Formats: sequence, C-alpha cells, structure tokens
Amino acid sequence: MSVLEYVANGLVFSSIIVLASIGLSLVYSIADFANFAHGDTMTVGAYASLVTFGVVGGLGGSILGLPYGFFVALVAGIAVAALVAVITHRVIYEPLDASSIGLLITSIGVAFVYRSVLRLGFGSDFTEFDITLLRPIEWLIPYGIRMTRHDVAIVVSAAILVTALHLVLQYTDLGRKMRATADNPSLARVSGIRTARVKLWMWVIGAGLAGAGGVFLGLYAQISPRMGFNILLVVFAAVILGGIGSVYGAMLGGFLIGMINQLTPLLTDIGIPIGIEYANAIAFVIMVAVLLVRPSGIAGEGTT
Amino acid sequence: MTNDDNHPVTRRNLLKVGGAGLALTAGCVSQTDEETTTTTTSGGNGGDTTTQQTTTQESGPYQIGMVNSLTGSLSAFGERNKRGKELALEDVNAVGIGGRELEILSEDSQSTAQAGVSAAQKLVNQNNVPFVIGAVGSGVSLAIYESVIQSTDVVQLSQNSTSPDLTNYPGLLRMSPTGSSQSSALAEIIADDGYDSVAITWINNDYGQGITKAFESAWDGDVAYNQSHDQGQSSYSSVVSQMANSGADAWLFITYQPEFTTMAQEAYSNGYEAQFYGADSVKGPKVISNTPEGSLDGMKVVAPSAAVDQDNYKSFASRFEDAYGTTPTSWSAFAYDCVVNAALSIATADDFTGAALQETVRDVTRPEGQKVYTFQEAMDVLGDGGSASDIDYEGVSGPINFDENGDPVGYLEIFTVENHEYSSTGFISG
Repeated sequence: MSVLEYVANGLVFSSIIVLASIGLSLVYSIADFANFAHGDTMTVGAYASLVTFGVVGGLGGSILGLPYGFFVALVAGIAVAALVAVITHRVIYEPLDASSIGLLITSIGVAFVYRSVLRLGFGSDFTEFDITLLRPIEWLIPYGIRMTRHDVAIVVSAAILVTALHLVLQYTDLGRKMRATADNPSLARVSGIRTARVKLWMWVIGAGLAGAGGVFLGLYAQISPRMGFNILLVVFAAVILGGIGSVYGAMLGGFLIGMINQLTPLLTDIGIPIGIEYANAIAFVIMVAVLLVRPSGIAGEGTT
Repeated sequence: MTNDDNHPVTRRNLLKVGGAGLALTAGCVSQTDEETTTTTTSGGNGGDTTTQQTTTQESGPYQIGMVNSLTGSLSAFGERNKRGKELALEDVNAVGIGGRELEILSEDSQSTAQAGVSAAQKLVNQNNVPFVIGAVGSGVSLAIYESVIQSTDVVQLSQNSTSPDLTNYPGLLRMSPTGSSQSSALAEIIADDGYDSVAITWINNDYGQGITKAFESAWDGDVAYNQSHDQGQSSYSSVVSQMANSGADAWLFITYQPEFTTMAQEAYSNGYEAQFYGADSVKGPKVISNTPEGSLDGMKVVAPSAAVDQDNYKSFASRFEDAYGTTPTSWSAFAYDCVVNAALSIATADDFTGAALQETVRDVTRPEGQKVYTFQEAMDVLGDGGSASDIDYEGVSGPINFDENGDPVGYLEIFTVENHEYSSTGFISG
C-alpha cells in the first residue's frame, strides 16, 4: 500500500512546486529572463507570513486544522512577496534595461540580497509556524494514505490559486493582455496594450504565487533563509520540462517533477538500488529525456 | 558542527604538509646525529655513540614537551588545553615523581601542520624530550607523527585529535576518542534495548558515511533500511515512509538538526511511531522546540562527554572554575589526563627515555591494574617500585584504556527525551 502513500506525499509536494513554477514561467514569458531570485521570493513570502502570523495569532476558529490567522498570514505573505518583486522590478530590473543574460546574472545578485537581509533579521537557523502539527487523517490510513488536514489544506489552496489564475488568464481583459504580451511584446504594444503595466501585473501574480508556495513550503517543512534557494533547481526543472514560458506547461511540469521526486522510493522498494538521494537526479534525467523528444518541453509549442 | 570539530585541519592541508614533512624528516635525521654527538660529548658519556636516543636529563625536573594551538584557528582549544595542563601540573608536582618535578616545555603549533612540525622538531631534537603531548588538530598531529616522531622512540600523545584516520597509526596515541566511538555506543544501546533490526538514514557526506560505516561493523543485528539522504531538502517524507515500510522498530538518525527536525515532523504527521536513536549531531534545543510535544519521547542520543559523573571530574571542575571562572570543557579534561598519563608513565618507567616510556604509557591506563582516579592515589598504590600494570588510571575525561591502535575508549553520555526535554540517563563507554 506504500504506493498510495508516496502518491499522497507527491501530491502535496507537487502543489508547492506548481505554485513556484507558474511564477517562474510567467516571469520568463513576459519579462524574458530566468529569474534566479524566484526561490528567494518564496522565502520572503514565508517570512512575511511568519511575522504576520506571530502578530495576528490564532484568530478564533480554524479550517482544516489551520487557524484563521494562518490564512491572513498567507495573504500577507503573498502581498509582501508581490510588493518586494514589484519594487525590485522598478528599482533594479527596469532601469537596468539589460539583455536577458544580464538580467539573469542580476537576479542571482538580487537573490543573495534577499537571503542576506532575511538572515540579518531572522538569523540563519530554521524556524516554524507556531501551529500544532497534526496526526494523519484516521479514515484514510486503512487505504494506506497518510495525509494530515494541513496537507489537504495545501493541496486545496494550491488548486484554488491555480484555478483562479486560469480564470484570470482565459476570461479577463488582463489575462488576454498578458497572453498577448507574452506572445509578441512589440505587436502587443502597437495594438495599444500598455506592456509596462502588464509586466507589473505579471510580477504581482508571479511573485504572489511564489510567496504562497513559500508559505506552504514553510508549513510543510520549516522556514529557513535557504529554503527557497534549495528548491529552486527543482522548480527550474519543472518549468523546463513543462515548456519554458508556458504557464500550463509549468503546472504540468511542476506536478510531474513533484510526483517523480516523491515516487523515487518505489525504485528501491521493487529492488532497483537507486536511493532517494537520487530523487532530483532522476527528475533531471527524465527532463533531459523529454527534451530530447520535444526540445521545447511538453507544452512548449502552445501559447500561454 | 561536530563534523567541523572533528576535522579542524583539512585533508588537503595535511597532504601539503605531509609532502613538506618528508623533506623535513630528511633534514632532521642529520640534525639528530649532530645533536647526539654534542650531547654525548657534553654529557661526558664517553665515546659510545651507538644509540641515537640519549637522555641528558639526569637530575632536575623531568622535561617533556607539549605542542599546543596557542594561536591560529584552534586557539580556543589551545587555551582550554593550557588550563587543563596547568591544573594537572599542580597535581603532579604536589606529589612529585620520585622526588623530582615534572616540567612541560610548551611550543605553539599556530594551528598549522608546518609550525607544529617545527615545534615538535625543536622539542625532540634540541630539548631531547622523550615524551611529546601534541597536537590539537588531527592533521597537525599526523604531520608531527610522520615527520618527527615515527623514526624515533619518542612517545606522542595527542590531546584533542578526533579524526578516525589516526586509528591507522598505532604509534600515535591520543586522549580524545575517535568520532566513530559513538557508533559502537549506539550499536550497544540499541541491542541492549532489545532490538534486532534497525533502519538507518544518514546524511550524504563524510561525516554521515563514517559514522554509519562504523555502526554497521559494530552492529550484529539486521539492518532493514540503510540509505543516505541529501542535506537541505525541503521534504524527507519518502525517507520516513521507507523507514516505516522497512518494518524495523528502531530508527537511527545520523544527520544534522534541521534534517532530523523535518523527518521527526513528517514521522509524526504520517502517524509513524518507532524508537528513535541519534548521533549527537541531531541533538539541540531547536529540535525540541520545533517538534510537536511528545513526538520524540523516548528518543536516545549519545554525545561525547568527560566523566562528569566521577568524583575526580567534579573536583577537577570545581578547581577549574575557581581558577578560571568558567566550567571546563571535555577538551581541557583531555589535556589534564595527557599530563597525568605522562607523569605516571615516567613514574613507572625504568628509565627516562622514549624507549622505556613506550613500555609504560599504555599500561598505566589499562584495566589490568587497580583503578586509581588521581595522580596522588596512583603514586600511593605504586609505592616504591610498582610497575605500570599495577594501576589503571581512570581519567577525568573517561576510562582511557588505550587500545592497540593508541585510541582511548570513548566515554559518552546518553540523553533520553523525557517530557520533551533531554535528560541525562547514563554513560556508556564505546
């Protein structure tokens, strides 16, 4: 029955990766560079919600084992991550006006700055949300699935955020403008779209989702200044696998990479001596294999 | 952290100096010859120059050497060593060795192998000491052994080196137990608790690998799960699930605090229960404060320790506090025992020469003799003309009992988590 258990673990981990991948892919498609500060944007979100949760506390009732205050903190985490990203865009990326390689290198520097500032403020040790850890849901255990209500909350919240993004992209004016800008910025601009404003929104959405991913990652494991950076490589793998620049591809890639990562123990269970320390390596091998067949990723051809 | 303490000098540095050391040895052999000739002439021992090791110390205090990290990156250790050494000298000289005092010529290794080798060369070739206490860093100790000591009769006793590598040099004694002694202690504890099958997860680096290998060779039971994990991952739920699926009821964690905390949380939220064991690197207040109440209860962790439950340590600690205003660390206890050990080997040796001291230095700590806890006690038991095997010095740092590789028995404190706090529940030699 361990397969279902690994799948359950994978579902939770995938939710976090998906949230992070979407933002990375959005930034790539619209701002046209690989943002290495994305992982640390997640960390910023996690710390912002940690501080907020410390201030607002429990706030009475709770949903799925999480006090209302946590959802306030989640919103704060999203908001602060978005705000920090917008300020960074305005102060650094926009005035710099460098090529995509130049911006990539700059974003590595930005990542260091985020991380160091957090380290100055909170130290480099790990910490936790002051939320009681739960035991697995009783009635699922006979099926071999061991999930807590917190895990369910992470999956459900991620699903809501992803659906909301889908609705925005497909059915709103902003979504159409974003897709147009991603497709062809010059054409979008001559058609009267204010691409600068679209870029700003893109940062808000991308970094906001990263912030949410960071908060859930903090809830799932711990909060530490390196948490986002440590997961960034996996997120990149997900985005590239899905087809860089494609939001739906990133969702799919995030889901697959998260699942592969957590299903690795199956290999040793069936007797193949490849340990879990190779989980990320396996994810990358599969990524390379997919790219050999489809050089632009699974959903590479499609528009966002 | 533990890892860093264990290897204060990197292997690369060691190799570098090892190379230089060879050259130095070549140079120093001729220098020794020269020294010998001069000393024999001045000592008036006639024309007999067949032995290279000649002692010039016929009267006055017994002079031995010490190479210590007084400056450099390990100077914090050096400071503690110095304090331990001074207290030990007081104790030894209050009694005296056959009416003579013990004097220690201290040289600085600057925490580097290069300076350490020069310091040892000065002590051995110019001061003609037959016994050298040194050094702190494992790389420094090895460099000294290979370049200066190996080709002579001189006894070398390292005060603080913990690298498992030193076990391969039986001629190089050390007072601090090898880092892998906790492995054998853990194997013993787990077996004593009645488990015959264990699941091990270890961090994928030298530290994890070393401790795990040593554990495997000490463990007689079944290993149901034995896999490494990478440092700094955001999730270890697959580790925890696999350990649970392995069916072993005893889980051993050889990893660092953040990694262990994640695993403990995931074990809790996956509803798994097992008896946890850990190396000292998983013990810390952060681990306790970030895991749910009750989730670790019963967990056992071993950590290297001085013999804090023994009276001789208690009196050492209170004197140390009076003199220096802080509590001693186990590192100063090791230095203290080095000095007492040296004094006892001198007291029981036929001659004050390296060759004679080699005969006694191990025996005075071995369990064949009568247990003695202080230098005074030891001298009382020895009386007039007692031999090295009459006594078994139990140091302030532990039972010592040098084995054939020159390693002492490790002395470790067992901590058990009770009411979500670590409490000391005993000691074990490993």
